[in-house]
Parts: sequence; structure tokens; C-alpha cells
Amino acid sequence: MQAGLMNTYEHPVSNRQTVAWCLSGLLTVSYLLLYLGPIPALGIRWDVFQAGAEAAGLKSKWTLYGLLYTLAMIAGGVYVIRRHGSSRYQLIRTSVVVLVQIVFGFTLPIVMKVFGQQEHYFSYFWPLKIEYLYPSTVLGQPFLILAWSFLGSLVAFPILAYFFGKRFYCSWVCGCGGLANTAGEPFRHLSDKSPRAWKVEQVSIYSVLFLALVTTAIVWVNWAIGRQHADFARFAFKVQEWYGFAIGAIFSGVIGVGFYPLMGTRVWCRFGCPMAALLGLIQKFGRFRITVKKDMCISCGNCSTYCEMGIDVRAYAMANVDVKRAACVGCGMCAHVCPRGVLKLENKPIRWKAGTPIRVYAVDL
Amino acid sequence: MHYVILGNGVCGMEAALLLREREADARITLVSDEHDHFFSRPALMYVFAGQTSLRDTEPYDRGLYERMRFERVRMRVASVDTAGHALVFQGAARVGYDKLLLAVGSRGRPAPWPGSEGPGVHYFVTLGDLEGLDREAREGQRAVVIGGGLIGVEVAEILHDRGLPVTFVVRENWYFPLALDANEAQLVTEHMRHHGIDVRLGQNVEDILRGPEGRPRAVGLVGGEEVPADLVVAAIGVVPNTAFLAGSALNLSKGGAVEVDDALKGSAPDVWAAGDCANVTWSDGSRRPEQLWYTARDQGRVAARSMLGDDVVYRRGTWYNSAKFFDLEWTTAGFVPVLLNWDNTPLDPGPDVRSWFQRVPGRIVSQRVVVKGDRVIGFNFLGSRWDHEPLMQWIHERRSLSFVLEHLAEAQFDEEFMPRFRVLPTARLG
Repeated sequence: MQAGLMNTYEHPVSNRQTVAWCLSGLLTVSYLLLYLGPIPALGIRWDVFQAGAEAAGLKSKWTLYGLLYTLAMIAGGVYVIRRHGSSRYQLIRTSVVVLVQIVFGFTLPIVMKVFGQQEHYFSYFWPLKIEYLYPSTVLGQPFLILAWSFLGSLVAFPILAYFFGKRFYCSWVCGCGGLANTAGEPFRHLSDKSPRAWKVEQVSIYSVLFLALVTTAIVWVNWAIGRQHADFARFAFKVQEWYGFAIGAIFSGVIGVGFYPLMGTRVWCRFGCPMAALLGLIQKFGRFRITVKKDMCISCGNCSTYCEMGIDVRAYAMANVDVKRAACVGCGMCAHVCPRGVLKLENKPIRWKAGTPIRVYAVDL
Repeated sequence: MHYVILGNGVCGMEAALLLREREADARITLVSDEHDHFFSRPALMYVFAGQTSLRDTEPYDRGLYERMRFERVRMRVASVDTAGHALVFQGAARVGYDKLLLAVGSRGRPAPWPGSEGPGVHYFVTLGDLEGLDREAREGQRAVVIGGGLIGVEVAEILHDRGLPVTFVVRENWYFPLALDANEAQLVTEHMRHHGIDVRLGQNVEDILRGPEGRPRAVGLVGGEEVPADLVVAAIGVVPNTAFLAGSALNLSKGGAVEVDDALKGSAPDVWAAGDCANVTWSDGSRRPEQLWYTARDQGRVAARSMLGDDVVYRRGTWYNSAKFFDLEWTTAGFVPVLLNWDNTPLDPGPDVRSWFQRVPGRIVSQRVVVKGDRVIGFNFLGSRWDHEPLMQWIHERRSLSFVLEHLAEAQFDEEFMPRFRVLPTARLG
């Protein structure tokens, strides 16, 4: 139940006006500086973020980034809870995703570093964090962390996705989704709902998944035979480096967050994330769905407008068809903003089997 | 075959889509002077508030007309020449038809009070109404909304959201007696007042008073009180949008709706009518238009099949509906008696008809189950979500109150983690 009205289209920053373009430019440049350090082509000769981190007394720019990221999620989380806290689903989900970031995404890695361990982000898993199943990580981490990574990626996640949908991760745990659903909230309606965007999404996300699988395989093959084949070792190193730069830095970071004010949140989650692709495939065959109440939709379009994944929820509601889409991250906003209570996120096997048609609107004589 | 559909709302569009599905080669023309594209009329309030854009309220992509080969005429019809099988437009242009569907919908019921004519008095039914109200409503102006129904509460909400102090004048002694009993109306009224709406119950409007420049100055109430107003919205129901049919060969009801038979066919050859503008037979035998979104859609589909020559009739199913009063969601299904007449005299619900009612303490949530004898015949729920499908099935299965209360939680449709329905010790049957 949405309390109050949203005036989304009256705010220039949520509405692709000049200020939104400026914000997007600022975010994009920041991410480029973060990932690339000096950019000689732009006349930037020093690593701005590293210098900033050191000036703030932090050793690494990644700690500074983690701090800013977590603060943005806390501030955004407060905003979302004030705006949508009337729904307990939104209240609990938002609180959990912010807490996971604070504890697993920020504090624990720092604590590990303090104790001389290699840092590990417990809320991230392969294939989103592709290096967590690279041999270098697998062989270098303590057993418990390794078990966490393996069991998470390969055992627990498929089971959880089957029973609860990919939402258990994408909108309850994941830091990328967490930022989108907190600080990114004013931009969620900007996602492209056109059929063309859906086609692009299908090609693009499964291509990235394919690349992630191939890259992981090449890195492992290299670990097995690299010492005998120097050319292959160089190739494997290039592939690994290229994936990290193109997918990890540019796609998930620069485009994923930098384009929030222009393309909406979840651009990375929708078009790129290999984890979302895998969990989505399981979700498609799993129990999670958005149940549609029969013949109650007034086609107002609030659900589709506020779907950050660009799903045309209204089309399903109008057709009385439950929404079962690989893309759905289960943020629950469609159900929340529906003024007629038509949608319900559900994991239960069967809800209700009606015995009689409720509206016999045409009787054949 | 040339099908012409007058009106591109949900009724006209659904009819056009069904016609195209069945006849790939027919010529189909949609006529509307309101908007180039089909949009969701119940969503107008969200466009006003800036929660959605007008384009967001268009259910289909803008390539639909081209893809479906729908021809579009964007003109206002002046009259129908049923003998000559043609629409006559302002300026005397004509468009011929082989078969015509009138799906022209409604407009706001004209304000009947002295002083209603002129600037500053608004309605909220059409896109033109939205644009007019959007242009004029400015933060800080005082608004008076007249009418105790669903459009009234929507307009009160969006004007208040824009920063106008709103006085909501309701003729009846409690809000929306067509759907709510005194207890429920009390909950809704408290909720509206909590949001800052000045709700005046049991008040009749005498006239609309205008200042020297002709703008509204106040709304005069019967009894002499003047409620200051810069802006007035009349939300006192809708009437069929059929003024252009006066003088045509088509029979109209007293209220102006097009008289149709069970197959939605009008009284002139090759003319059908459906949606808000058609006078249809209700399950109680009465004849009036059904001014609802989903019935307009259903009627559009039936009318299209009837135009195609299928042997179909339109039958009104069991009543259900839902709406939202500010943050308060409402679901109803089945027979819920009207207990208060428009002139504030009580209405008898009929022999053996009683209501089981409970209010959840600490939340604005109530549940009412209407029974006749021991058989459940209707539901009225405020503040939580319900799936009307099982509710209607229990009605059709003639279930008892105890059965229904035992199973009611299964029909709950709230978002996850919301409190589950349970029978409270304070529940009473009366």
C-alpha cells in the first residue's frame, strides 16, 4: 500500500533534465577516475581518489569508495523507508540490504585487513565477483571463506533462487542492487520498457554470462597447463584483464551507476550481471512469481512505470497472467504502488484454484 | 467492411483489437477528439500529481495503430446520420460506416447550482478536464470539492498534494453511502481529516459565488455558510457523453444513455453502443449504464463480437470493485446494501440481511461480511488487500458465515509480512 503520492515527474533530477545530465556526467567521470586512476588523455596525471583517501587517513582508495558507497546506501535507505515504509516488505527489505552492506560489504572486509587477512566481501559471489572462484583466490583464502564462496555460488544460491526467486539475492543482499534500491530510488522509473529493450536485454545479459563462464574456464585451464604454454598464459592473462576492465569496471561501475539519472537504476543488473542471468534462469522454473488478481487492473501503469527492470507488468495484469520473468528482482515496488492491490509477490506453490469463472461477460447462445 | 468506433477509451480500443483479431482485412477507424492514443482514464490523478506521465498511462506502445492498421480520425463528431450510415463532423465533413460502435463514455455531471457556469469550476473525467485543472490549480489557492464519491476523494487528494487547502463537501450524512456503511465511512472520514481535508458531511450546496472579475469567491451552502474558494471541482457523478445524439434516430434513456438490447445493439440499423454510454440491464433487472473500467472493457469485447455476427449477449456478472481513499484501499464483492439514501433517509437492507463487522485496533483496517440469514452474500474491506475471486466463489457456493470466516485469510492479498486476518473478540454481527 503506497502512502501519499509521488511527484516524480516534477523533479528535474528524476526527469532527465539538465541537472540529471550533469549528475550523470559527474558520476561517470568519478567512476572513470576511480577505476583508471590517472587519465593522461584528459590531462589528469594523478590518482584523485587515492590522493583523497590518503588525505582522509585511509590507506586505499577502495576503502574510501566503500565508505562513500555505504553512506550513499544508508542515506538512500532512510529516504526509501520514509517514502515506502508503509509497506513492511519495503521496510524489512531495505533495512536488510543496507545492514548487509554495512556488515558484510564494508565492516568485515576492513576488519579482515586489520588482522592481516586478504579482504573478502561476504555479500558478493561468483560469477558477479568473478575472481572469487579464480584459482588465485581459491588457493589463497582460508578454508572457511572458500567454503562460503563455493557453497554460496554453487549450492545455496540455486536452491534459494528456486524457492524464493532471485530476489533473495538481487534485492535483499547484493550491494549493486542495494545501491539501486536506495540511493538510486529517484531514478527507478527511467528504465526502458520497450519490447526492443527486452530483446537487447536477452542478448546482452546472456552474452555476459557466457563471457563470465568462458573467462573462468580459461583462467582455470591456464592454472592447470599455463606453466608449459607461455602463449596461453599470456592469452589467459589478457582475457582475465579484459573481462575485469570491460565488464567489472566499465559495465558494472561506470555505466551501471553513472547512468542512473539517464537510464534508470539496475542497468547493470538488467543488461549485464551474470549472477542475475543465472539466478533468473532458475527463477523462471522456480516458485517465485507475481500473482495477478483477476480482472481488477485499471491499466494505470504505475507498476510498469516503477519497474526498475523495465518489465511491462501492466501487460501481464491486463491479461490476467502471473508475472514470471527471469529479469524480475522482486523489489516489490509494482505491488506496492498498485492502487488496486492487483499484484502480490509469492513463493507458495499454488495460491487459489477457482472453481467457477467469476465474470461471465459473454454467454454463447 | 468498414467498422467505425467512436471513442478510443478502453471500450473502443478493446472492441477494435477484437475486430482486428477476427478480421484481418476489415477497415477499422477509431474516432476521438480527446487524445491520439488510448490511455487509462482512472490514472488521470497520477498524471496530475506527476507520479506518472500521460505516456506512462498508455497501455499499448505508440506503434499499435499502425501495426493494427487502425485509421485515426481526430475530430469532434457533431451528429450521426443513421439513415445515411455516416458520422457528421463539425464543419460538415462526413465519415461513412458499415457498422458503428458508440463508445463515447462519460463526462462529469454538470454542476446544477447557480453560478456554476464560468471559469474556475472544474470536472475531472476527461483529458481536457485534467489539463484545465492542472493549468489553474496553484499551491495556496483554496479548493472546494463537491461530491461524495470516488472522483471526489481522488481530486481532494491530488489538490491537497499540490498544496491547496481542500474542503470536501458531501451531501450525505456519511461519505460514499453507495458503498460504505456508517462505521466504514467514519474510518475513511477520519483518514481524510487526518490528511488535512476539511470534510463537511450532510451539506448541500446552494450556489457558487463569484467575485467582481467573475472568478469563484466562495461556495454557498444551504443554511447560509460560505466556504471560501478560488477553485471548485464538481465530482457529483458522470453522465453519458451523448449530447450529439439528441435528435438522431437512436433511442436514449432519460439519463441520456444509448438504449441497447442484450447484444449491445442500438435502435438504429448497424449501430452498437457499449461502455459508460450504453444503457444495459443489471442483475437486479434495472436498466442503467455501468460506469466501470472493467465492464467497459468487457462490453467492448461483446459489442465487437456482436458486430461480427456472433450470437452473444452481455450479462452483468457479480458485482465487485476496488478503489483507494488516500492511503486506504477498499475491496468489495457481491451484494453490499446501500443503507443511506441521497436525501439522508435510511434504507432498509431487506429481511435477514445483516453485517458481520470488525475493526482492527491501532490500524485503519476493517472487515465486513454481509449475510442473508446465514448465507454470505457480500464483502466490504478497508485498509487491506483481498482477492475477490475466492470471495465471489464463496458467494456463488452459498457458503455460511462460519465457513467464510474460517477460510477468509486464504483470500488475503496483502504484501508480504503484513498482519494476517484473524477474527477478533470485538467482532459483532448486527
